[in-house]
Amino acid sequence: METVAFYSYKGGVGRSLLLAHAARFLAKLGKGVVALDFDFEAPGLHYKFGFDQISDPPTFTGGTVPYLIATAEGAASPPRLIDQMLVPPRPVDIRGWVWLMPAGPAPHKIYWAALKQLGERLRLGDPSGQGLMALLDLRARIADELKPDYLLIDARTGVTELGSLATTMLADTVVCMFAVNQESFDGTLKVVEALECAPRLASQKPIRVVLAPSRNSVTDIVVSEVAANILRESGHNDLQLFVLPHDNLPASETLSAFLAALQGLPEAFRGTLSHRYRLRPKFFRTFHPPPAL
Amino acid sequence: METDILNTLVTEAIWRAEELEALGIRPASSAWKEVSKIEEQLAQAFPLSEAQGRIARRGAVDAALKAGDYDRAQALTDAYLADESAPASLKAGLHEILDEADQAISSRFQHAAEHHTPREARELARRFSETGPFGLAA
Repeated sequence: METVAFYSYKGGVGRSLLLAHAARFLAKLGKGVVALDFDFEAPGLHYKFGFDQISDPPTFTGGTVPYLIATAEGAASPPRLIDQMLVPPRPVDIRGWVWLMPAGPAPHKIYWAALKQLGERLRLGDPSGQGLMALLDLRARIADELKPDYLLIDARTGVTELGSLATTMLADTVVCMFAVNQESFDGTLKVVEALECAPRLASQKPIRVVLAPSRNSVTDIVVSEVAANILRESGHNDLQLFVLPHDNLPASETLSAFLAALQGLPEAFRGTLSHRYRLRPKFFRTFHPPPAL
Repeated sequence: METDILNTLVTEAIWRAEELEALGIRPASSAWKEVSKIEEQLAQAFPLSEAQGRIARRGAVDAALKAGDYDRAQALTDAYLADESAPASLKAGLHEILDEADQAISSRFQHAAEHHTPREARELARRFSETGPFGLAA
């Protein structure tokens, strides 16, 4: 099972939506996918899978938070994983499958009560290691019992305990999404640098980081070229970069339209990145965007 | 401090911690921390040659674990084991207390325990706790 965490330093970059697209895309390829909502303070991954009607009282009361409360209690027989999952409707032409473990029945009040309870019972980053073991156990149990090809985690935005654990401790790959602006880029790069040297458990490989600029106000191909050069200049030669179209649809479907709209390098974007890395003007003078179609 | 007072205090502290735990009141961990501190004082007051000194050393480590403070439990164990006059029975007893705590975690998180040891997770959590999320506060 490959675990991929979707992270963003700032919110509003389409992180959950990309995760949902990725899950469906992988299912189309015949893969089994579990999507896990770890954005406990602002959960909403279930909306991206079409579960946007929360009844009162909720008919579904499972999810990551209720599950972790039960395990924090040290239940002799932990709750069944399948009871914590929602199964999105599967189109007939899809060979694989997607199961969703939402954070809980958010935004109903019983979810917020459960989240408060979790905070009182289990501090995930506690030095005792029990919180970390609880998270590792959830991941291992998903792998053992559900046997998906991919576990996709919607990680908490910003520099938080949960966001850090979901990325540094649970993930094999971290997709770091950012909007093309100074504050988003600066913060993201700090986190990326931290991810690259994050301590890992003995059996874990180093984290693979994929950068994904999103919400671009310039064409994707421009963002891609410039961002790749900037990363090389700043010594990040091994970072993978996947530039998302503004609407977050798979690049293959929209790239030609973006290429057709290609115009030069916008001044604002140039200013943002050149200021950040104090790059020589030569760099930008020698940069030639590909010709418009 | 008089050892009689310490003995009275530790008895009361243990009773209090057990009652809090039985009632399911969460701050029981701070009560166990108190027990561990008093046991540590008793361990300083009684030499290893006396049974009460050995009991206090085990009690200090055991209570630290019940408080969820594995770092303290490990530090106390290391200090007690470093004493050359520590009898083999005490050394074995202290190791046993730590091993039992690890086994309790392993049996609670069986799936994770197939891949990772509690000690390994604890070490990582400790580093995490010291350096903050993403290690950015290091």
